[in-house]
Amino acid sequence: MLCAALYVLYLDIVVVHQFEGRRWTLPAQVYAAPLELYAGLELTLPELEGELQRLRYRRAAQLDHPGTYRLQGEHIEVALRPVRFADETRAAQLLTINGGAGRILGLRDAAGGEVPVLRLEPLLIGSIFPIHGEDRIVVTPAEVPPLLPAALKAVEDRKFDTHHGVDPLAMLRAAWVDVRARQIEQGGSTLTQQLVRSYFLSSRQTLSRKLREAVMAMALDAHFSKADLMNAYINEIFLGQDGDRAIHGFGLASQFYFGKPLAELDLSEVALLVAVVRGPSYYDPRRHPERALQRRNLVLKIMSEQGVVASADAAAAARLPLGVASRPAGAYYPAYLDFVRRTLRRDYHEEDLTKAGLRIYTSLDPRAQQQAESALEQTLDRLDRAHPHPPAPLEGAVVVTAPSSGDVIAIVGGRDVGYDGFDRALDAHRPMGSLVKPFIYLAALESGRYNAATVVQDAPVDVKLASGQHWQPENFTHQVYGAVPLVRALAESLNLATVGVGLDIGLPKVAATLQRFGLPQPPAQVPAMLLGAVDVSPLETAQLFNGLANGGFRTPLRAVRAVISAQGKPLKAFPLEVTQVAAPETIYQLDRMLVLVMDHGTGRAARAMLPPQLLVAGKSGTSSDLRDSWFAGFSGSHLVVVWVGYDNDDPTGLTGSTGALPVWAHLMAELNATSWTAPMPESLAEVHIEFPTGLRVVPGCAQDIVAVVVPGGAQLPARPGCGFPDTPTGAPASGSLLQRAQQWLHGAVH
Amino acid sequence: MLRLVPTACLGALLCACGPLPPRAPEGLQGQGPGSAQPAPGTPAAPSAPAPRQFHLGSAASALVTQAHHQAAGGDYGQAAATLERALRIEPDNPLVWIELGRVRLAENNGLQADAMGHKALALATGDPTAQSAAWRLVADSLRLQGRNAEAAEADRHAAGLTTH
Repeated sequence: MLCAALYVLYLDIVVVHQFEGRRWTLPAQVYAAPLELYAGLELTLPELEGELQRLRYRRAAQLDHPGTYRLQGEHIEVALRPVRFADETRAAQLLTINGGAGRILGLRDAAGGEVPVLRLEPLLIGSIFPIHGEDRIVVTPAEVPPLLPAALKAVEDRKFDTHHGVDPLAMLRAAWVDVRARQIEQGGSTLTQQLVRSYFLSSRQTLSRKLREAVMAMALDAHFSKADLMNAYINEIFLGQDGDRAIHGFGLASQFYFGKPLAELDLSEVALLVAVVRGPSYYDPRRHPERALQRRNLVLKIMSEQGVVASADAAAAARLPLGVASRPAGAYYPAYLDFVRRTLRRDYHEEDLTKAGLRIYTSLDPRAQQQAESALEQTLDRLDRAHPHPPAPLEGAVVVTAPSSGDVIAIVGGRDVGYDGFDRALDAHRPMGSLVKPFIYLAALESGRYNAATVVQDAPVDVKLASGQHWQPENFTHQVYGAVPLVRALAESLNLATVGVGLDIGLPKVAATLQRFGLPQPPAQVPAMLLGAVDVSPLETAQLFNGLANGGFRTPLRAVRAVISAQGKPLKAFPLEVTQVAAPETIYQLDRMLVLVMDHGTGRAARAMLPPQLLVAGKSGTSSDLRDSWFAGFSGSHLVVVWVGYDNDDPTGLTGSTGALPVWAHLMAELNATSWTAPMPESLAEVHIEFPTGLRVVPGCAQDIVAVVVPGGAQLPARPGCGFPDTPTGAPASGSLLQRAQQWLHGAVH
Repeated sequence: MLRLVPTACLGALLCACGPLPPRAPEGLQGQGPGSAQPAPGTPAAPSAPAPRQFHLGSAASALVTQAHHQAAGGDYGQAAATLERALRIEPDNPLVWIELGRVRLAENNGLQADAMGHKALALATGDPTAQSAAWRLVADSLRLQGRNAEAAEADRHAAGLTTH
């Protein structure tokens, strides 16, 4: 007897001590970039509505609470939720957004005052939880809709307010029901017992554990208020499994199942979560919707019978569909979260990330991410169907950045975008193939001995290696093209001409150029480097090309913008940093050559898929035996890098132009990208040359003419009898600036 | 609000500044067919970029004002974060880069201030006022690093642009 009393006393001390000092492990919450709204932003009202719906705003006739919006002709009125950004906290507010002609025309607050710029709240995209660990979002009582505790009491524990932690009659009744039904229909445990089980005990069903559970529940009830216990229950209880992630608490469950805050749930949604409590796996609304619907409607019936809600309301709620978001919130973007995690591990211990409740603000653009995922999936499906006997499904990876800021706005790590496994965007290191060529040509331009019109020899190459073997590369077509201008060698990705240029410049200079632009490891300085025998991941490729897209300024690619503590204190910022790694003059010349890749070279197949006015630059890459298909290219607003290949390194039968380019073009066409419009440095001049020969011509004089940019004062040989020097000067040769721009965009002025 | 539309169109046609795509490539302006062509083998004439004047759009302008308040209160981190918001809206506007460079300068980060000055210079082609402001930022950041002779040279560039 004394032993039993001592044991009860011991349990009492343990329970009180642990529960008083309770601190849920709070995984870091990760947020996407908020959408900035301002006059002039290219966004249609339907697109804006789509963005609100992504944030699970509900269309309503009356804006009576945050999280709702309504359409009023050419404007949308939104009741914005309160939000905490890294740098400010904003209360709930009303906003009117005027739109028209495909763009936002203006924003006004509730008083009618003009709002120059405003951020929507950032989408919660995930959390960093311990491996096989609990994930949760803790809510305060004020954030809990009153229906929830009422429903929990009605369904799970009707005497919660009056019992002392256990309800012996309920346990007996449940046992009798279960025996009659020959299955567990009623648990009979009070909410307090369920809380004890989840918080202190294992899930093993033994008599001694049951007894311990009862004693501990009574101890909790004796020492803590009912409100405190209810709040603990709401934050503690297990409500679903998402791969390795255990969904705990109603705060996270609301995001996981409905993608919105708990406070915004309506009656049918509250009832579904209460239904799930009884068996998160058995009543999983995604896997077993019928079963979940039945149980939800039973919950609604009980709520009505217990007087929690009017029977008409319960009946109306029972007619609604489950309303579960198709994909669980917070599990969308494993490849992106992988990059976030790796970034933060440099500065934080695992414990801080998984337990300290940090809030992490990232650059992810959910719309661009979705577009990147679908471009990859759809194109790979098509390529697989076109292959007579595919050895395996093709794989791929996509990285999208905003070149000026270095923001990484989307990462797709593979075809199965929800799979949290091998992240090809970060970990697939493959030969870059011809993606190396822009860096060779940049080194050539920097030497001062080459410009876009310089004629180089595409001729057989024979290099004796240190091993005594001979290296004899070939062009992709196995042909030899002879004398060609540099711009054509790059546009048509001629291997022999490139190797000649690279050997002339010297391997150390090419290697140094790659490293200046951010290649993390020094490449092996062998001649094959000139044809891309340099292993890079898609993310590293994005870093290299970001410098080309950003006018010769290297900006470390960033996924994380800021980290704040659970209390809102700024902890760490990742500010924008730029380093000039190439002169504006050389980068501009190179970038104009990369524009011609898209018009006259290996990227021209993209033109049919892109908006006609969109000016882009890029380069294809294909590794030996067609094992890797790459495309890296940029507009004024986006850099996109795409890799396509097989995981086992088998040949794909695809070049950069037939595998990665369609993904790239599909995506670039959807990104709402702006044209590449870097200003031409004043010391440069634009001239016209004949594309096959590099000879200077006047427009209209030959068949295949392109505009290239060379240093002012460059000596260019002219094609005999082709307009020089008889051309009249002064008057535009072919119409207005706009017409000329359009002609130029199509590659030539005829 | 409607008054913004003609302003935007004007900007797209004349200035090629601000976030108003799509735009014709700069290289087309003052170049191409019809420009004075030299005889074969003689040096090509340097381009004469179309004159233009950058200005801040209303969103970026509001954020720059907010950043000024934050910097005045000594909160350079917040000011920089606010200017990065402006930069995401107008990434090609040298005026925003100059503002960010000024905040870096106030933080005694001469290297970043210098780099942002050069970034602004690369974007400011054709706008002597913006070029001059960028050169002044470069000069100040060089002085902060003790590179006084180079700073004086940068100042001369700035002065030369404003006296034209």
